[in-house]
Amino acid sequence: MVVLAASILHKSGKVLVSRQFVDMTRMRIEGLLAAFPKLIGTGKQHTYVETENVRYVYQPMEALYLLLITNKQSNILEDLDTLRILSKLVPEYSDYFEESICKCAFDLIFAFDEVISLGHKENVTVAQVKQYCEMESHEEKLHRQMREDKIREAKDEMKRKANEIDKNKIIKNRGDNYKGGFGPLQSMGSGIFENSFNDTSISSSGTGSRLSSDVDSFSTKSKARPTSAATAPPKGLGMTLGKSKRTNQFLESLKAEGEVIVEDVRPTLGKSQAAAPPPTDPITLTVEEKLNVTLKRDGGVSNFDVQGSLCLQILNQEDGHVQVQVQTGENQGVSFKTHPNMNKELFANENILGLRDANRPFPTGQSGDAGIGLLKWRMQSTDEKMVPLIINCWPSSSGNQTYVNIEYEASSMFDLQNVVISVPLPALREAPSVNQIDGEWRYDPRNSILEWSVILIDNSNRSGSLEFVVPQADSSSFFPIAVRFMATNTFSNLKVTNIIPVKGGNPPKFSQRTQLITENYQVV
Amino acid sequence: MEKSCSLLVHFDKGTPALANEIKEALEGNDAGAKIEALKKAIMLLLNGETIPQLFITIIRYVLPSEDHTVQKLLLLYLEIIDKTDSRGKVLPEMILICQNLRNNLQHPNEYIRGVTLRFLCRLNESEIIEPLIPSILSNLEHRHPFVRRNAVLAVMSVYKLPQGEQLLDSAPEIVEKFLSSEQDPSSKRNAFLMLFSCAQDRAINYLFTNIDRINDWGEQLQMIVLELIRKVCRTNKGEKGKYIKIIISLLTAPSTAVIYECASTLVSLSSAPTAIRAAASTYCQLLLSQSDNNVKLIVLDRLNELKSSNREIMVEMVMDVLRALSSPNLDIRRKTIDIALELITPRNIDEVVLMLKKEVVKTQNGEQEKNGEYRQMLVQAIHSCAVKFPEVASTVVHLLMDFLGDTNVASAMDVVIFVREIIETNPKLRISIITRLLDTFYQIRAARVCSCALWIIGEYCLSLSEVESGIATIKQCLGDLPFYTVSEEGEGGQDASRTTQQVNSTTVSSRRPAILADGTYATQSAALETAMSPPTLVQGPLSSVGNLRSLILSGDFFLGAVVACTLTKLVLRLEEVQTSKVEVNKATSQALLIMVSMLQLGQSSVLPHPIDNDSHDRIVLCIRLLCNTGDEIRKIWLQSCRQSFVKMLADKQRRETEEIKAKAQISNAQPDDLIDFYHLKSRKGMSQLELEDEVQDDLKRATGEFTKDADDANKLNRILQLTGFSDPVYAEAYVTVHHYDIVLDVTVINRTKETLQNLCLELATMGDLKLVERLQNYTLAPESSKQIKANIKVSSTETGVIFGNIVYETSSNVLERTVIVLNDIHIDIMDYISPASCADVAFRTMWAEFEWENKVYLSHLSLI
Repeated sequence: MVVLAASILHKSGKVLVSRQFVDMTRMRIEGLLAAFPKLIGTGKQHTYVETENVRYVYQPMEALYLLLITNKQSNILEDLDTLRILSKLVPEYSDYFEESICKCAFDLIFAFDEVISLGHKENVTVAQVKQYCEMESHEEKLHRQMREDKIREAKDEMKRKANEIDKNKIIKNRGDNYKGGFGPLQSMGSGIFENSFNDTSISSSGTGSRLSSDVDSFSTKSKARPTSAATAPPKGLGMTLGKSKRTNQFLESLKAEGEVIVEDVRPTLGKSQAAAPPPTDPITLTVEEKLNVTLKRDGGVSNFDVQGSLCLQILNQEDGHVQVQVQTGENQGVSFKTHPNMNKELFANENILGLRDANRPFPTGQSGDAGIGLLKWRMQSTDEKMVPLIINCWPSSSGNQTYVNIEYEASSMFDLQNVVISVPLPALREAPSVNQIDGEWRYDPRNSILEWSVILIDNSNRSGSLEFVVPQADSSSFFPIAVRFMATNTFSNLKVTNIIPVKGGNPPKFSQRTQLITENYQVV
Repeated sequence: MEKSCSLLVHFDKGTPALANEIKEALEGNDAGAKIEALKKAIMLLLNGETIPQLFITIIRYVLPSEDHTVQKLLLLYLEIIDKTDSRGKVLPEMILICQNLRNNLQHPNEYIRGVTLRFLCRLNESEIIEPLIPSILSNLEHRHPFVRRNAVLAVMSVYKLPQGEQLLDSAPEIVEKFLSSEQDPSSKRNAFLMLFSCAQDRAINYLFTNIDRINDWGEQLQMIVLELIRKVCRTNKGEKGKYIKIIISLLTAPSTAVIYECASTLVSLSSAPTAIRAAASTYCQLLLSQSDNNVKLIVLDRLNELKSSNREIMVEMVMDVLRALSSPNLDIRRKTIDIALELITPRNIDEVVLMLKKEVVKTQNGEQEKNGEYRQMLVQAIHSCAVKFPEVASTVVHLLMDFLGDTNVASAMDVVIFVREIIETNPKLRISIITRLLDTFYQIRAARVCSCALWIIGEYCLSLSEVESGIATIKQCLGDLPFYTVSEEGEGGQDASRTTQQVNSTTVSSRRPAILADGTYATQSAALETAMSPPTLVQGPLSSVGNLRSLILSGDFFLGAVVACTLTKLVLRLEEVQTSKVEVNKATSQALLIMVSMLQLGQSSVLPHPIDNDSHDRIVLCIRLLCNTGDEIRKIWLQSCRQSFVKMLADKQRRETEEIKAKAQISNAQPDDLIDFYHLKSRKGMSQLELEDEVQDDLKRATGEFTKDADDANKLNRILQLTGFSDPVYAEAYVTVHHYDIVLDVTVINRTKETLQNLCLELATMGDLKLVERLQNYTLAPESSKQIKANIKVSSTETGVIFGNIVYETSSNVLERTVIVLNDIHIDIMDYISPASCADVAFRTMWAEFEWENKVYLSHLSLI
């Protein structure tokens, strides 16, 4: 019951395609196929020929023969079945002309493979074979999507964590004269990541998904690669997050990819590893605003968007029955939205945030995340005056060099901390020469980015400038400039004034964190 | 062991792809271009090119590709490249593909996994497979059946590798577990196949634990079960009993393929009458239920085999077999009749003949194309029945005689020959046959049938009334005398001109020359040929007047001579039986008148050509004889003729019995024949007993693993010296000619004290020969020798020449290549020809059909 080979021949005897299913020498198969046209007589009403050793079962298809070579003991009924399926398959891929058969030879071989495995017939239909050959895999799609989702999710997660850590740090270290190099983690640019992706996925032997093995290996890589900075971020990170190791590694690897945000956090991480213990106050309230700003390179605002939130974190169950008294600023552009479980009227009339069902406590937990959101708000504007930091970039060519002057101007509304202005540069062999700078600079050769950092912008330095020289380059190559900073006051000026215990008693102690961070702040 | 070849693709040499073009496309990012380039690379490889520089490119740029088609083509590429070096060691760079394979085995796309597993089935290098084994095993648990079924096959082929048992020693256990929980029928089949070929005990165990559900299993699985049963019973005859029940229950399976397989398994297992009967009736059922001609023919082949091994049981089935005659296909009918004829016994002969008679009658009604041929077949069959069992002749001969006037000359001829034989062997039937023959004589249309019938009349009309009615019948068929009158002459002139015109036209469309039975050309005039085809002149009379007259008027004087002889014989016999002298004289004179008018007709100008000399002489001889009778002559004419016919029949009978005897002798083994023990046998040569393990050997023979070695002595006859004894390299070759290929086994000996590098045998061919693959380069140590095998394909059996050189470099002088020209090898047409026997009739038809002359077609335009 073995099919030795399935072939398509031209009537002239020319072999167009042949697929063998058992081991046989080329000599042998060519001999068998060459013998075939001489064996078939004309005017016969059956379509098989037997020789001393083999049986040919064939089917004429216009100028072609579709041919199965089997051993003589083979079950003719089954072979005819096989032949029938094959003959239905051929027109699915090609028509009955020599050229098109040659063109589709490989498709036909793939299809033949699906019908016959190791010489035994498979129980398949034409539709199934087509499906097998198309290789449309739902699982693969799912897998891809899952991978993307995970990456996205992890990015989000990471952002949030980073913010939280940042907040902690700023609260704890306010006033510290912060110093620190910008971490070199950035040097693990996407290039390395991709490399390691390939290498490590090959060497890993686990049965888990490819992605996770990638992540595993990435973490080992990152350890193996000594970083030049004095600070060693990964350790502290693990501690602060308090999450399972796997997610950690996951985050780490992703951080390397999503560099823009990571860099912002990195310097603070180094410091915060000792200084960011879990919140000790029984109640913590976090006011956070995220800035999404796009400035045009020749002035004007193309997008200005602030998203704020108020989060409540309660450590102990007994402190759950509380209400929060807040005070909003005068800013008219801000519109507030409460959590669906909140008592809306109470908020509208008295600016008090409390659960609609007064008997229920707020959920508690010491989890690393920021707690439960009580209030959200949003503000949009196109007014340039609202923008906290305006960047002007003036590239000018002289000779074979380009002088770039960058200037910032900060609005007096905010004191900005940890300002980093990343200027993309054309590919350079060496670092650009910086002629003048207010602050510090650092060049990342891998990504070709010049980072200008100012620790604090307050009334003493509302404006500053940077000048550097690079070999001649197009002015557009210095855009988009990305900016990151944070501040401790917000657009909404929302403040928590008091915590009111619903069931009476002393108001519990609470701490309040307020911060404004950039999510996406660009000059394009 | 030569490399095996897993695919062939037609390669158009007109547009050779350049290696660097391919390389460029492979390095690019365009998936479409990559696919095309990879296809080209595979085709180049198949065509014998080795493009080693591409390998690294493929590793670097193609392996990481995400495109599915690229990955599949890549697997094909890996399938056909050499994975080992010349010493059989795996190339170190192959480890690189290992990693890719493993990734594929863990790919989220189930089809990628599947095709990769399938590729592994074709891989023989355990070094590559070893690191992949955990991945293969993990795929056994994949969610998708497509992956699982291929994974099982991969496990099987890994386990079957030479070192397989070390690589995967728990494979049978794993697969058994897998089988017990598997639902997908195809995976189940593959798993069972694995157990079947690797761990038979476990397969049997599984079979018996699930014996109740066997009827619900998939068709494919049932097939393997049957195969397993066959294998087990071959090795362990004693256990047959356990399995017969399974087979019987599978005989009711819905799939015809399974039923067929059951029947053949039954036959191979047991020779018990019940089993054989069950198998035979299964075959007969399939014969009726299957509409496909191929199936019918092969089932008939099986029945034929059964017939030779278990004749007595098949005898009972003969009527079932004969039902296959309902198929319109002639090949099937012929095979059916052949089988049936060998199964007839005194007990069933009546039934069989009745059936055949019915079929004959059917051919009269239906207007099917092949009816004539089929009728001939039936007539022959009835003929041989009647020869074996003379008693049935009486029931059929009259029916058959209705077909004497058949338009199909061949079948009418068969009938008349049959009648001739019966009338001799069955004296009891003589009277009735003669009466019947005289009654139907006028219906006979063909000249050859006529002459044979006339001979019967002349020979077997014995009584007075018979002789008289015989003469009367002939006279009636000849019509009024003379054959032409003078008044017709005038018209005849016109007719003659008309016919000559016709002659011209027919000679132009020249027919092939007539060839006599001994193979010589017959001398014949073009005019005679036209006479064969009925001319318009006698068309009128043919329908109204007697058949003999029209035939003779159409110019068939040979028939005229036969008529003359018959009349002479009848008159001579009349002299014996008729007491009245007057009557005898009357008959004599009438006969003489007929003969004379025939001669007259032959010499007249009415017919396009005159009577030929032979016929003329014969008719004249008859006239002389009638005028001047004598005892001597009478004895020759009335007795010797019959005697020689009887002798011929006896001779035929004797030849047939001898043939049967010879056949019977062949199947017996000689007392001093060698006994072969299967386990001790070498791979070379086959003998009767080895055929027992048919299935395995069948496959091996089919894939060409077994080749029957000819006598070594014969081999030595075909040694050719290729170079001289004093040449630095001596070479000689065995030339073996198979049907469609020639194998050169060249021995090359280095006669120098130096190492020869890059020694290469370059062959070229003339005629319809083609070198299959380019030969490798070798390095020959001082005074060492090397065997090189070269395969040459033959596209037609013609003479051809193989010539070539041996080219090499010496180690001292690398740059200079030395060339030694080889002797030519002449391939003679005689090498392809081997003697075989062939039936007389078949030979004559082949001989007649053979194109003896090369026709040269001339265009009229070019002549002008």
